[in-house]
Amino acid sequence: MADSGAQAQPKPSSSVKLVLLGEAAVGKSSLVMRFVNNDFQENKEPTIGAAFLTQKCNLPTRTIKFEIWDTAGQERFASLAPMYYRNAQAALVVYDITKPSSLTKAQHWVAELQRQASPGIVIALVGNKLDLASSNPNSGSSDGDDADAAPAAEGEEEGEEGEGDARRVPTKTAKAYADEEGLLFFETSAKTGLNVAEVFTAIANAIPETSLKGPRGVGGQTSLGRQEDARVNLVGGRTEGAKEGCAC
Amino acid sequence: MFNLTNLVQKAQQFIEPTLSIAGPTSSDRRPSKATLFRHQFRLPETQSPLQEITAELTLSPHHSTRGASGDVTSSEKERSQGNHYVGKLHLSEQFLCFSTQGSSFLNSASLSSSSSFTGQTHGAGPAGNGFTLPLCAIRRVERLHSQSYMFALAITTWNGSPDAKSKNAVPSGQKLTIQLAGSRQQCERFCDGLKKGLREGVRDVENLRVVVSQCYSEYLLADDTDDKKASGDEGKKAREHPDTGLGMVFKYPGNARKLRDATKIRLWREYLKENGRNGTLIRQPTFHKLIRVGLPNRLRGEIWELTSGSFFLRLQNPKLYTETLAKYSGRESLAIDEIEKDLNRSLPEYPGFQSEEGIGRLRRVLTAYSWTNEEVGYCQAMNIVVAALLIYMSEAQAFFLLSILCDRLLPGYYSTTMYGTLLDQRVFESLVEKTMPILWDHLVKSDVQLSVVSLPWFLSLYINSMPLIFAFRVLDVFFLEGPKVLFQIGLAILRINGEELLDASDDGTFISVLKSYFARLDESAHPKSENPKLRAVTRFQELMVVAFKEFAGITQNTISEQRAKHKDTVLSNIESFTKRTSIRNLGPESKRLSVNDLGFLYDRFYAVLYERQQRAEIMQHEADRQAKAGRAKATEVITGFSGKNVERGRVALGPSPTQMDYDAFREFLAGIAKWALTDSPSSPPEPNGSQSPHSYFGNSTRSRPPMSKWGSGPEPADHEFMRRLYRRWDTDMTDSLSLQNVVTGFAQVKGTKDIMSNISYFFELYDDDGDGRVDREGILRISEALLFLSRRGIGDQISPSHSITDFHSGGSPERSNRDEQFLSSISAFIRRCFEYADPDHPSNQGNQSLDQVKEGLDNFAIGTDDEDDLIDLKSDPATPVPSQTTGPTSPEHKHAKHPLSPVPSSEDPLAPTQSNTAESEPNGRTEKAKAANLALDPNKPLHITLPTFRMVILADEVLEQFFEVGFSSSFRLADAPLPSHASSSSNLTTFSNAGKQAAAATGGLGAGVVGGAGAGIVPPGKGLRGMLDNIVSDGMRVAAEVKRRMDEAQKEMDREARHGREEDEEEEEPPSARDRDLLEGAETADVDTSRGSAPDLLTPAAENGGSGVLEVNNTRNRSASDASRRVLEFER
Repeated sequence: MADSGAQAQPKPSSSVKLVLLGEAAVGKSSLVMRFVNNDFQENKEPTIGAAFLTQKCNLPTRTIKFEIWDTAGQERFASLAPMYYRNAQAALVVYDITKPSSLTKAQHWVAELQRQASPGIVIALVGNKLDLASSNPNSGSSDGDDADAAPAAEGEEEGEEGEGDARRVPTKTAKAYADEEGLLFFETSAKTGLNVAEVFTAIANAIPETSLKGPRGVGGQTSLGRQEDARVNLVGGRTEGAKEGCAC
Repeated sequence: MFNLTNLVQKAQQFIEPTLSIAGPTSSDRRPSKATLFRHQFRLPETQSPLQEITAELTLSPHHSTRGASGDVTSSEKERSQGNHYVGKLHLSEQFLCFSTQGSSFLNSASLSSSSSFTGQTHGAGPAGNGFTLPLCAIRRVERLHSQSYMFALAITTWNGSPDAKSKNAVPSGQKLTIQLAGSRQQCERFCDGLKKGLREGVRDVENLRVVVSQCYSEYLLADDTDDKKASGDEGKKAREHPDTGLGMVFKYPGNARKLRDATKIRLWREYLKENGRNGTLIRQPTFHKLIRVGLPNRLRGEIWELTSGSFFLRLQNPKLYTETLAKYSGRESLAIDEIEKDLNRSLPEYPGFQSEEGIGRLRRVLTAYSWTNEEVGYCQAMNIVVAALLIYMSEAQAFFLLSILCDRLLPGYYSTTMYGTLLDQRVFESLVEKTMPILWDHLVKSDVQLSVVSLPWFLSLYINSMPLIFAFRVLDVFFLEGPKVLFQIGLAILRINGEELLDASDDGTFISVLKSYFARLDESAHPKSENPKLRAVTRFQELMVVAFKEFAGITQNTISEQRAKHKDTVLSNIESFTKRTSIRNLGPESKRLSVNDLGFLYDRFYAVLYERQQRAEIMQHEADRQAKAGRAKATEVITGFSGKNVERGRVALGPSPTQMDYDAFREFLAGIAKWALTDSPSSPPEPNGSQSPHSYFGNSTRSRPPMSKWGSGPEPADHEFMRRLYRRWDTDMTDSLSLQNVVTGFAQVKGTKDIMSNISYFFELYDDDGDGRVDREGILRISEALLFLSRRGIGDQISPSHSITDFHSGGSPERSNRDEQFLSSISAFIRRCFEYADPDHPSNQGNQSLDQVKEGLDNFAIGTDDEDDLIDLKSDPATPVPSQTTGPTSPEHKHAKHPLSPVPSSEDPLAPTQSNTAESEPNGRTEKAKAANLALDPNKPLHITLPTFRMVILADEVLEQFFEVGFSSSFRLADAPLPSHASSSSNLTTFSNAGKQAAAATGGLGAGVVGGAGAGIVPPGKGLRGMLDNIVSDGMRVAAEVKRRMDEAQKEMDREARHGREEDEEEEEPPSARDRDLLEGAETADVDTSRGSAPDLLTPAAENGGSGVLEVNNTRNRSASDASRRVLEFER
């Protein structure tokens, strides 16, 4: 696999270990499913231990191959988590915007990661099930051309007061927390695919070059900034809200 | 010894024994037997082996069992007819069991000897060939007289259709012949037992009828006989098809024809016809073979039930499932919420679980189980397992099988910490390392974590790893042979894919290799082979062969040994994780304490709870402790976990208590603050803390029994102050403290370096009604608390910088100076308080005096009484009562009259303070003193406010310092735990404390506990320390003597006081008159004639100023510090 990167491919690729954490049934696996297969299953089996999937994400300058560890959410599985977030360079801490308790749990995870995971881990806080918030001003805005990172997501959330049907966690609250802790922040819907690819792209962008390990990572640094034009492709591809930004 | 018994057993297995060694043994003498026995025959917990005897089982020959081999062959040759099995016959309360597997319940049920059934079972499972007959399933037992030297029994079992006798083909119930090998006496005894059991068994027949009627085998065979009659037509009796799971309606997974289900059913029908069914089934080699090739769909549930033993659970209590559901219907729980989340996502691709019917079943089974085992509740993966079971079983069957899974087959897998899962992962890894070292090295090198792959295999029994049909085949064997199967399959998977796995260098490839392997399990293992037979072998068959042939060496014993080996590491990993998590989740308040401190508090908190729990348990079970321990050991043999009763309370093992009651809190404080140790564990009265701990402990002498209430740790003091602290920290008003409470409490005390907030904190502690005022009573109590807190080396608290060095450099005089300083500060404090106190509202006053007259209350408690009775609604009504009962130093204690007085007895020693405070005033200040004295007049209630209190504190340098640093630093947490030398310098009681402290500090919870238990009071005779101990006890004696005399004086006073009160209106006169006398410069020695001999003792300390009581305290302190000084000299 490592060799495939060396095969006259213009962009260097590096793999990033990413772990998903969060309360049970907030949609961790569904997010991954959406990202990897552009698919959604209403009744996804709970993850036992952890599931492992990979997906590539094309950035202008490099290709990031995500090695995604999707962990079980139930409280008692928490003691298994260290096994999975070991050496992770990125983490997606997911909560359910219709369940305030899940944000609390997410905060616990963030604290755990900040203290126990590898230093410099990129953490994204993700509020999932945005489709359940009825007045969803996001619906139209995800096709904005520059929607490729945290700031974009921020823009989308403006004006949202959490008056949506099932929404119980106001965007502001979570956003404020994320800012305080220096986390990337998104609200997504795995069901509709809204913002899902953005999360992963943002993480890919946020991974410091230096933390990319292996020969693939080193290659990435040399070719920095070589392919500005790739950016256009990337952004254009995301209009569908799913994952064209990331090749399979 | 072991070898010998082993040999004997082995011999018994192979040679036909002429004499039985095993006589009936009482189960309580060798309790481990019972567990082994139950595990072997999969019997419920209620069963114990009552009788056992070597025996030979003879079964009439049938064509279907012709191929029988193994243990049978040797004897088969000798006998002309039938199958013969030599083994052991066991009798329990409700079962008659026979097994060819060496049961090893001989004299010493040790690990080595038990391995004969926990060892290789050659596919027969631990129970081997034989039977497990519920006694109620035996219809008759006849004694045969065939051979003169043999004692033979013919057992006729109940086979459901009593009128089957008429049919020619079907034997009327099956008949077993059992020859007992033993002395006539032994045989007779066995038979007596059997007779008794059979009689009892009659009661269970109804249960059996119910349970059996739900078994498919009954239907299958009834069908069979009827079919013959009605010549294969639909003319069956209107017998209802028993519930054989959702598969009945929604189809069983897999292609029935491909699985050759019909053939399997036919074979089973033959087998069951000849060997009994459900309750009366006899296990012959064919039985095990039939299981190995995969069970037919409709019989699967029933055979699972039988081989796992859940059938017997159901038999015992057939209605448990429905009753549980009914009992808890409508109730809610966390588990139920969690279950609801997963109902729609349990085997969602199976049509049955897309229907309300299937989901309803799943919900009910999981819910019912969560109620019967609330400790486990619900764990993800249970939904998948139960969903799988429900395809083949009825709800009730699945319910009982689930409890067998959780309790016996997968111990600790689904517990709240999942320690069983983690442990077995560790075990699995070590087995991989052992059996496939090259692969293991590769995994380590490429940093692939094996458990990431294998954990779901174990947790959900391969159900969502392999295609369902294959997972069920694994389950077939798993229920028969036990947990080792999971390991064998796992190892075989790795072995088969070894080559490819060696090429995989990261988790991703590793996982995908296995994923694609699982997806191709139905393909040919040797697709290119010339040999068509070989080509027909599927990958799954290959897997089974590798698992059970190549890894036949992996036995239950291997697993148990490995579990025992890795248990501690795994548990302590979990514990440190739990600790980390819970500390982090303590909330914002906790941020005021350092991480180390939090860790320390956590350890200390749970160590105390754990120790107490364990102590209580051990004390409770002192009598049958040995038996318990023995039983625990036996469980360990099977599961690798020692018995629950020994390990309970370990955080990693699951839920443990998280709340601390007051006694535990005292013990907790005793490990953290020096002042919280009782002064004299040997002498009942507590000079300062005046609440005698004596009544608590019965005989709290120095030579306490090993299991004292406080274990080996030091006895904590019991002081009003501690009680107040407890109440203050108990913010949830539950009369118990959680770790959260304790941490928040400490954050308030220690988290702030601000003297003002410390002063307010202290003030609030004594402001019972929260009205911002502390009355006379409170003032006295505050001063008393200050004394209490300072009675051990306030010196080093006030100037912590040179605390320890001071002692070692012979700084004792300085120290005593400081103590004296402190004493005088406190007396000044009292004086000033009264000086600056505000009088209460006059009307209030009137009320009080009225009350006082009416109730005949004593002088000093009036204020409080009033407040408590009339105003104070907030004060916790629960606390005063215990304090009352635990308290009184002397029966004549005056406060016995005030059941509602919140802190009844603690102020005794201070009672005289009033007079003495005044007395200590220099003559020149008589006027002021008089004013103060006026304030003392009980008829003029007064109070101080926080500003006053603050002012008074700040007016005194020593007190100021105390509030600035002394108080909070008197709690020693991680940054400055009570060091052994420091504590020994101030008081020797802390010797034991030091040990405990160190232990608690070092080892986290687990080690702390062990260490704490070991670090007892240092036994005298241990060299220097022993001598030190003696010196200290001298000091204590002195202290005790002082206390005794004080008490006498006190009693005298009380008597006087009461006497005075009886004289109605006169009552205030004498005391105040006396006060005035004293103020006029009376000698200390003349303080009060009623004091008896106390003054003698007090005189030497008189020059220190302060009140009589203070002096007494001082004396006491000094005697203690004298002792310690001597100690120090010794050390030097």
